[in-house]
Amino acid sequence: MTVRSLLGLAALNLFAVGVGAGLLWGLRGWRSWWELARLAGLAYMLGVAGLGVVLSLLLVAGVPFSLATIVLTGLALAAAGIVVGFRLRRARPSLGSAPRRIGLVGAGLAALVIVYLEALFRAARLSGLYAFDAWSFWVPKAKAIYFFGGLDEQFFSELPNATYPPLVPTLEATAFHFMGSADVVTLHVQFWFFLAGFVAAVAGLLATRVPAVLLWSFALLALVSPRVVGRTLEPQADFTLDYLFALAALLVALWLIERQPWQLASATLFLGATMLTKREGQLLAACVIAAGLAASWREWRSAWPRLVLASACAIALALPWRAWYVSHDLTGEFPASGATGFLDNLDRAWPSLQSVLSSAFDAGLWTVVLPLVIAAIALAFIAGARVLPLFATLVYALALAGFTWGIWSFTELEVPIEQDEAINPVVRLTAGLIVLSAALAPLLLDAAWRGTDRPRRPEAG
Amino acid sequence: MARDRRAAAGVAPKTDVSSFLDWPHGIARLGVALCTAAALATGLVYFAKAVDRLGDTACTNAAQNFDDREFAGGNALVVANRPLYEARALIPENETYRVVTGPGVEGATELTASFIDHYARYFLMPRRPSPDALWIICYGCDPAGLGDGFEVLLEDEAGILVGRLAG
Repeated sequence: MTVRSLLGLAALNLFAVGVGAGLLWGLRGWRSWWELARLAGLAYMLGVAGLGVVLSLLLVAGVPFSLATIVLTGLALAAAGIVVGFRLRRARPSLGSAPRRIGLVGAGLAALVIVYLEALFRAARLSGLYAFDAWSFWVPKAKAIYFFGGLDEQFFSELPNATYPPLVPTLEATAFHFMGSADVVTLHVQFWFFLAGFVAAVAGLLATRVPAVLLWSFALLALVSPRVVGRTLEPQADFTLDYLFALAALLVALWLIERQPWQLASATLFLGATMLTKREGQLLAACVIAAGLAASWREWRSAWPRLVLASACAIALALPWRAWYVSHDLTGEFPASGATGFLDNLDRAWPSLQSVLSSAFDAGLWTVVLPLVIAAIALAFIAGARVLPLFATLVYALALAGFTWGIWSFTELEVPIEQDEAINPVVRLTAGLIVLSAALAPLLLDAAWRGTDRPRRPEAG
Repeated sequence: MARDRRAAAGVAPKTDVSSFLDWPHGIARLGVALCTAAALATGLVYFAKAVDRLGDTACTNAAQNFDDREFAGGNALVVANRPLYEARALIPENETYRVVTGPGVEGATELTASFIDHYARYFLMPRRPSPDALWIICYGCDPAGLGDGFEVLLEDEAGILVGRLAG
């Protein structure tokens, strides 16, 4: 909780922007510096995902974790992006023309989001570590990486939920190195950066695609949901998972209608990071890929091999961690009854579904986000769009079905789950769908307004 | 194209209001307008609540002292935070410790005995917990049962001891 810690975090997150900018130049390139400014949020989130994934893999490989490791890894990632960019003959960026005006309503709503983020920053600045899971195992894992320079066998086997993937503890340990100490108070500010980066990434991706009023209305609605307000700063993996999942799903949605290779390549990195963040990340990634496959069935010859390749690459990023915990005899990743054990407990089906639906549609937690998304999907279908609303329908439906399967299968959970939201596991799961809505609802409503989900301009970027 | 440009700029296209009842595109546009209005109205109401709540949280956080912020979740578990601070000061970072619980802690809650070792593990890192450690945090335990040579270095009024067995 010192100025040094804050400056350290600022340096870390600027570093992540730089790493992500290198990656983005390799994956996509940019025509002007204004365009980079618009996509700075996406660059930041790519940097976070890239650093998180590669540092996690290095930890699994036994590479000592230090400030030098972090800096060299980031520089290597950025350099790789730049080399790829040169090999692909990306155009050198020019200053370019100034961005278009967003209109009074859009600017007003964007200003409200900035005011909200400022209020959230003040709350993060001096927040104590109250969240049970955070001090019970997320932050201790990060401290173990920070203090012992690796996946310390004692702590990583004795701490609760030993099989949970290491991406968030790795990023937290990275933050400790940049802060110069295991400052668990200022650590909350890092999670503010993740949220701000996510908002900036969605805004940068959608700014040229949807009207500003749609973009910022739904961003604001999702951000001010009571659960987001109360929990997004907690130094644990739940909301970080949601940001990565939502960006992966948004980029796959954009790829389905625009077919820009960089969109699928970026989505692949986010899918890999999603799977390395929490165990339900595997389920969410599978939902995105399955929905993408179904929504592209008309062009399956060209689309499916690419989607399969993307999912194979994402799985390849997540596999080493699985190999590590299996080799250390750690268990608990899957239901004790196995993947089909739920069939022995058919009486749990309805209460499990009931628990998931009541959590997802709880207005006290999420206001009216999901009902509006359902309306947006229906309107897009009515207006004649097909790919986007089909993709969105399947992502939401498969995720809700997957959550139901999870609650149904983990028989140690009493159903229906009616715990307080602070400890309710279903509420954590459904948060991903709310965060995703901030990205998909504007696209769906824009498609409904225009009567098509074809891109406005192929070069929209 | 012109309509798209206007829409992309966030400017409402000039649309005949009666066309909002045309099926399917008019109805779809009417729905978009209603959804956006609902999102906007709800967002604005909850924005005011959120900023208010976050302001309260920031004030509460700022009013706390360093120890309260650092201890945070531990305040619900530990009876007093001084013994753990003392333990952190006394036990060298490269040594091990163990927490031994018992019924003799004044003011303990039902969470204390169950979670004090979890919290100590988090709070005392990089010191490692070990079942045969010489350093002991006795949380209401019977010191006589700890073995010979247990030197008490801190005794809290609630019945919490921090000490070390002779090596």
